[in-house]
Amino acid sequence: MRVYVFKRLVIAGVTLLGMSILIFVLMRLAPGNITDIVFESAGYVDEADRKRLEAELGIDKPVAVQYAHWLGEFVRGDLGKSYRYDLPAWEVIKPRLPVTLELAVLALGFSVLLGVPAGVISATRRGRPLDYALRVLSLAGLSMPSFWLGMIVILVLVRSLGLIPSMTYVSPFENLGANLFQFLLPGLAVGYRSSALIMRITRSAMLEVLREDYIRTAWAKGQRETQVVWRHAFKNASLPVITLIGIEFAFLIGGLIVTETVFNLPGVARYLVDAIQVRDYPIVQNLVMLIAVVVVLANLAVDLLYTWLDPRIKYGRA
Amino acid sequence: MTVSRPLALLLSLVSVLTLLGTMAPARAQAPRASPTSQPSQTPQASQTPKYGGVLVTHPLSATPSLSPHEESTVATTQQASPCFNNLVYYDPAKKQESVDTLIPELAEKWSWQDGHRNLVFFLRRDVRWHDGKPFTSQDVKYTFDMVRGAPDAKAKLKVNPRKLWFENIDAIEAPDSYTVVFRLKRPQPSLLPMLASGYSPVYPAHVPLAEFKNRCVGTGPFKLKENKPGEYIEYVKNPDYFVKGRPYLDGIKFVVIRDRSTQIAAVQSGQLDLAGTGWNRTNAEDAKKGAPKLVVVEMDNNVNDNVLINFKKPPFNDRRVRQAINLALDRKGYLVGPRQGAATFGGALLPRPAGVWGLPAVEVARLAGMGDPAKQKAEARKLLAEAGFGPGNPLKFTLSTRALALYVDTASWMVDQLQQIGVETTLEQIETGVWHPKMTRLEYQVALNLTGIGIDDPDAQLFENYRCGSQRNFSGYCSEEIDRLMVEQSQTLDPKKRLALVNEIDRKLQADGARPILGWAKQHYVLWPHVKGWVVHENSIYNVSRRQDVWLDK
Repeated sequence: MRVYVFKRLVIAGVTLLGMSILIFVLMRLAPGNITDIVFESAGYVDEADRKRLEAELGIDKPVAVQYAHWLGEFVRGDLGKSYRYDLPAWEVIKPRLPVTLELAVLALGFSVLLGVPAGVISATRRGRPLDYALRVLSLAGLSMPSFWLGMIVILVLVRSLGLIPSMTYVSPFENLGANLFQFLLPGLAVGYRSSALIMRITRSAMLEVLREDYIRTAWAKGQRETQVVWRHAFKNASLPVITLIGIEFAFLIGGLIVTETVFNLPGVARYLVDAIQVRDYPIVQNLVMLIAVVVVLANLAVDLLYTWLDPRIKYGRA
Repeated sequence: MTVSRPLALLLSLVSVLTLLGTMAPARAQAPRASPTSQPSQTPQASQTPKYGGVLVTHPLSATPSLSPHEESTVATTQQASPCFNNLVYYDPAKKQESVDTLIPELAEKWSWQDGHRNLVFFLRRDVRWHDGKPFTSQDVKYTFDMVRGAPDAKAKLKVNPRKLWFENIDAIEAPDSYTVVFRLKRPQPSLLPMLASGYSPVYPAHVPLAEFKNRCVGTGPFKLKENKPGEYIEYVKNPDYFVKGRPYLDGIKFVVIRDRSTQIAAVQSGQLDLAGTGWNRTNAEDAKKGAPKLVVVEMDNNVNDNVLINFKKPPFNDRRVRQAINLALDRKGYLVGPRQGAATFGGALLPRPAGVWGLPAVEVARLAGMGDPAKQKAEARKLLAEAGFGPGNPLKFTLSTRALALYVDTASWMVDQLQQIGVETTLEQIETGVWHPKMTRLEYQVALNLTGIGIDDPDAQLFENYRCGSQRNFSGYCSEEIDRLMVEQSQTLDPKKRLALVNEIDRKLQADGARPILGWAKQHYVLWPHVKGWVVHENSIYNVSRRQDVWLDK
């Protein structure tokens, strides 16, 4: 187990290093840099002033030097300074983290709470009306983009009740009711798509397991349905579901970007898009790296869960 | 197995959401009702303004900084103006801005001396900066020395978009704490209007320039309470404001909402008192449809859609080719197409009656693209044939524009128009971040551009966009005669003679195909009836955001 964890950590480190190179290069390949953006908002370009500004920001140095400098700072925990806001990057990112975290947790929570039971019920009621109803719901979830669903929710709310969630962030410590009203709908909008995927995977995994001999034995022994389904069948069917949850967590970020924009939530995902648009290198690089770290750790956690769920899995052996 | 109650509840919730999704009707094209142009909202005699309340609105976008001298977007003037004052300002209550509607702010009075070579300001003595320090003539000298890039300026702007406005200033003197003298190289009546722009506030000499990135110390009616970059900017009433009884509001909050449909929903639900920056007619109509009590304002605007034709790149240095392109673009088609009926036609200066300096209507009607579309297109084909282009050898070029819906809609319409005269164009969408750099470097052939002019004034428009070598002369146009006439009109003191000169320049510019103007789009706002004392200006969007006279009738 220790050897396995060590190996996984090494792989994670290499993955992150690759990620850092990729994001650094991609940002440099995008046309223009922050000085272009500065002059863009000024509506003209003065080449002499632009060169002076590049030197001031250190983006006139060779790319390799810039990369080494940035990575060194990141490893030391120094996120640098936002070009756009002239503030320490952490100061800009920090207030946005709780917003995205709350939304991500809610979305993931919804997707698991809706997807897993729906998948199990669908499998145990195979071919019945409830199964078809749930499959239609999951198909709808996969077909509807979360931002569109969010827009529809806002439209229906404003047209029918004349209200929409607050346009500025309400902290749960400030007003829990308003905060939940602000987050439940976007959480549901993002989580619905993931729940549909989870439901389908759960259903097919369950259908496979429910055909196994040991399940038939459990039924024959007269065990209760809940015991057979949840204790014997679901535990064995949950591996692909957990894998999917890990992967979905990474994909969630994509959904959050648009949903944060539609619901005007000042989260990290929306801010990342803003930062990319204005070529705020420190913010983009550090944010993407932080997200990469979270995703890599989430995948690591999933892999470790596997060994706990299925002791037959032995890693690191041929 | 029975489904548990919580699970059933969750399933029903998902079903309801799905149902809502599937039931949402597609928006039908409603018949167009002309929006009601809102009359001036200045307090009536019967209406006594009320104190209190916070005006909540959305800006065009997040402002890059709170330093108007370093930006060129209305987002900045909107969100920074409540904090500052100018020496003089345009009367917020007057719909049309002109030299006749200037009101004193930090200057109590002013006087032109020495044949309009010196402009003397006598300053108020009762003004304090938000941090309590007294305002003096040194602040004025500091600000405008910095903006004109004086060698001995105490601060240097990283970016100086309006240096050109103040290049005629030879020296600024502060003989005492409350007198400032602007000494000019030549007479320039436009200096006063330029000092009244939302882009020309006075900065405090004692606050480092870098601080204006995220905070603001001004003398204005509102003090900055909180700035959450990219999220919102909140102001509170300045209790020490030098204008007695102002402001009426307790505060202003600018909430950045990126998504247009969310902006509409926010104003419909009452979360915003006022909305519409950057909206078109359809957006305003949509908002009103959902909330019939909303007041819609449609007003002229000093932002034009123009075609940049690169004079430095053959065959566009051939006047016939430029004329052909200009003639092919049917202006009436532009009006009903990309502009949805909400635009006016004119030359380089905002057309009258909204504008002060535009060509007379009778001349506008004779401009290229304004005539019979079939005849004009036939003439365009003839001109192209003379220039060596035709069915066997069609004119081909890339039409560039900014990758924003507002630009792409018009550019797509242009592609179709040009196709009708046998021109083959490829539409290139340039990312907004590198649009101006590309234009400045003349890295394009033909482009569709939008230009907003800070003030409705010939000096502000002509020198920036048409003078040889100017940084914003994106088409590379250069005419010694036009440059000479520009200077001549700039120092002409008689308004009538000056207008005649400006019109003459405009005529020549249109004939040369220097940045053909498609039209001047209108601006749209929606507001709840309780918003009072706010007047939309018909020839500017940049100089109306002080908001000290706005009040809420709640």
